[in-house]
Amino acid sequence: MIIIGEKINASIPSVRDAIGRRDESFLADLAGKQDTAGADYIDVNAGEGGEGAATMRWLVDVVRSATNKPLCLDSDDPSVLRAGLEVYRGDRVMINSVNAEPDRLKMVGSLAARNDACVIALVMDEGGIPRTVEERVRAADVIVKALADHGIAEERIFFDPLVLPVSVDSIQAGVTLKTIEALQKRYPAAGTVMGLSNISYGLPARGIVNRAFLLMAAAAGLDAAILNPLDKRLMTLVATADLLTGRDSRCKRFIRSYRRGELVQ
Amino acid sequence: MSDDIIAMLKENVIQGRMTGEDEGVDDTVTGPGVVELTQRAIDEHIPPQDIITGGLTAGMEIVGEKFNAGEYYVPDMLASAEAVSEAMDILKPLLAGTDVKPKGTFAIATVKGDIHDIGKNIVSILVKGAGYEVVDLGIDVPTDKIVDYVREHKPAFLGLSALLTTTMLVMGEVVTALNAAGLREQVKIFVGGAAVSKEYAEAIGADAYCSDGFEAVRILESMSVV
Repeated sequence: MIIIGEKINASIPSVRDAIGRRDESFLADLAGKQDTAGADYIDVNAGEGGEGAATMRWLVDVVRSATNKPLCLDSDDPSVLRAGLEVYRGDRVMINSVNAEPDRLKMVGSLAARNDACVIALVMDEGGIPRTVEERVRAADVIVKALADHGIAEERIFFDPLVLPVSVDSIQAGVTLKTIEALQKRYPAAGTVMGLSNISYGLPARGIVNRAFLLMAAAAGLDAAILNPLDKRLMTLVATADLLTGRDSRCKRFIRSYRRGELVQ
Repeated sequence: MSDDIIAMLKENVIQGRMTGEDEGVDDTVTGPGVVELTQRAIDEHIPPQDIITGGLTAGMEIVGEKFNAGEYYVPDMLASAEAVSEAMDILKPLLAGTDVKPKGTFAIATVKGDIHDIGKNIVSILVKGAGYEVVDLGIDVPTDKIVDYVREHKPAFLGLSALLTTTMLVMGEVVTALNAAGLREQVKIFVGGAAVSKEYAEAIGADAYCSDGFEAVRILESMSVV
């Protein structure tokens, strides 16, 4: 499974403060730690507001000074994404995110095309989060078609099937899992990616809910996850999920992790 | 006998059992749920107002306490609120013929640019459960649409929801627009959502900041008393 490290996000108070005081060593350290812990991409969310673009530029430089892992540039604002892309140098970057809204598809699509980026695409439109699998797949159809017009192949799209809390609607975990399956069947060349923690909102013992859901999503075919790679329990489940879904040839990575003492049993 | 029904009703609200088939918070409670007990209370000619205050509202108060104490979780709270909301739908036609005054309309919207509806929906169900008429204007609602609604329908209360730090700013625009339209004085504005703070609510001139749906109900009740 592809791991996108979620820690450098301005919605986390300690990170927002570090960004506010331009604390390079704190943020570089956080990037380096996620790299070491096994993140394949480092998500970079600089926050919103008037300074968003300048902050993103600065933050991309800081993170790149600490890691050679590719970045996942994270913003709702295309101008902030553009700012990050302008200064980014390195392996194929990921853009987080677009959805089926025509305006966003146009702006983010052209950014992704110009920068040869992968794109995370939320299978929803301006009407909000669809409650059914069918509506989510329809949003994916719109996205694939619009991105193809920009020359972006399915291989560069990671669909986010959308995760809603089970505490609010108990069938929603199933809708997410079935959406992963449906998207894979329809667009086998595209990937799927999701954040984990929303599933357990409003519940006690959230960690175990997140970890179990990760395994179930892996079984449904999830390719990538946005999560905290510093969470050793969760990373143990990632290694185990890879092992059990045929993504770990001869179980090599699993055994290597065990030998290094990385697995939490 | 009527006291028994009201007590059972309250207990089943606390248990979050909408009907007799539902499982409660405790797995030991069986028998009729909130809907059946409400109907039984009506059949026994218990005044609707007593059913509401002694059974439904009293039960929800305990649910609120348990939620705030960390004993209850979101699903527990929603089960109780939905049960009460269902009971209110049964009782509403009966209230029309009494001297019980309606509590007023609470219109609610997630502001322009924000499509998050879960928080808004939780607040809606709790406010409805407290006996208010709730009008859900939806998500990503343009400011002028909110202003038009207030102008035409004159709700006593307006709830604004936003999850993001970016869209939170739109709440301020809504207050400004209502001011400009000369409508600000006729409606009490409630704001809430993950990014919103008490300081922000004061800065934009909202009437109340609500950290959650129960607080929204508490503040509504305190305003309604005045």
